[in-house]
Amino acid sequence: MSIAPKPHSALLIVGHGSTENPDSSTPYFDHAAEIRRRHLFAEVHCCFWKEEPSMREVLYQVDSDEIYIVPDFISEGYFTQDVIPREFQLTGPTTIARGKTLHYCLPVGIHPHMTGLILRRAREVAPDIAPAQTTLIITGHGTGLNQNSTKAIKDQVNLIAASGAGYAAVLDAYMEEPPFIAEWDQLSETPNVVVVPFFISDGLHSYQDIPVLLGIEPEVGPAASQREVFRHNPHHLRGKTLYYSSAIGTEPLIADVILDQVEDFDKAHKSL
Amino acid sequence: MSIAQKLQNLIDSGVHRIGEIEIQTNVSKSRFMLCHWLDVEKSHEPELGGLEVFDDTAAARDISTYAEDGSYRFTKGQVNLKRGWLLRLQSAEELRLALDHFYPTAMGLHLAHSEGTLEVENLRDKLNRQTGMYRYARTISDAGAQQLVREVCGPAHNCAKRILWQLDPGTPLDDNEASRYNGIPGDVSESEAIPLLCREACNHFVAECRKAAKAEFEQKQA
Repeated sequence: MSIAPKPHSALLIVGHGSTENPDSSTPYFDHAAEIRRRHLFAEVHCCFWKEEPSMREVLYQVDSDEIYIVPDFISEGYFTQDVIPREFQLTGPTTIARGKTLHYCLPVGIHPHMTGLILRRAREVAPDIAPAQTTLIITGHGTGLNQNSTKAIKDQVNLIAASGAGYAAVLDAYMEEPPFIAEWDQLSETPNVVVVPFFISDGLHSYQDIPVLLGIEPEVGPAASQREVFRHNPHHLRGKTLYYSSAIGTEPLIADVILDQVEDFDKAHKSL
Repeated sequence: MSIAQKLQNLIDSGVHRIGEIEIQTNVSKSRFMLCHWLDVEKSHEPELGGLEVFDDTAAARDISTYAEDGSYRFTKGQVNLKRGWLLRLQSAEELRLALDHFYPTAMGLHLAHSEGTLEVENLRDKLNRQTGMYRYARTISDAGAQQLVREVCGPAHNCAKRILWQLDPGTPLDDNEASRYNGIPGDVSESEAIPLLCREACNHFVAECRKAAKAEFEQKQA
């Protein structure tokens, strides 16, 4: 897609961040650098809940009077509906605060273009297997506390199943609610299984927790480069051939989805 | 005037330091050259003293992510920036971007503070808006919070920021090394440096408040 340049506006990418694992915020900086390279905005910044700059402070480093805020989060939920609006003191899709006009876009993970990214990642991690003999599992955290946390994944499962991609089955599975990702082999009837983690970064869950649940790793190890876990595909486990990809949010094309959300905001809320 | 232009003006007026970074101008075919302030002499040696040279603003994040001992610098005010590197930049905008990676928002906070537009958040306001497991942090006593500032903040505890907040509007911080610190590490005068400012207590301090509040509660029960 090609968004019209906004030479007088800033783009602000909001992420969770971590006080323990720097891999967690790497994708945000990568996406910001990619968008900066395209010279579409006067400036592009990141801000975080758990890292610096914080949402409360980041506006001090923005020159532009008009700012598009895009939550680089996987679903609608506590952070996108409560935390981010509170921290920026947002009152609606567009808010005037501290003399600046803030446009609050929808989170990256719920954009329809995520479907193509998941399929691309699944093909990349297992390029030589026949989809007809393969189950594609999209996995997320899952929690009984918030229905929205699984909705984005269920939506993607339905979209991919209807897309004609040819997979024998497309399933959702979670760390903390059924169907459990730990039972991936029982959920799948095919000899091949591709698992794509629906997370923004290769942080604690996709890099450390899920490999243990899948049986790839015997125990949770320290955070490190993603290479060690993801380069060893395929894994021959529990009588099946398993392919495990890195988190969907590390896909470089997420930068395009961020821009898609800006464009969709304008279509929905600004008269062109 | 943009933040980059204001930064250029500060440098033109003699500012050359922010945090642990020395900003040199018009050397080695670069408009700006950044290095750890303890590496300045090396940067003047032949072959740039063997310092590893970078020419991309993105290198600022890589350089500042881990300390020399491999620990993750989750707050960039820590006084443990790695040495042995040199970053060459060609414009004030590149300089501003690199400094935003090294010391997020530091330039913006300094400018807003100088212009009288910085909104400081006192500790009680910060603690009272915590949710989830950190909600308990708000129960910490004033004495406990004052003690934590002595035990957690300031260069003696690996933080180079100048604290601007109080406990609440009527309760300033006790006078001590941490509360007195000016946000400028190294041997440079205030007119030559951009200070690192602490506008609100950081996540680390809030987490420590929660621990201390729990300890206070348990002590009362005992």
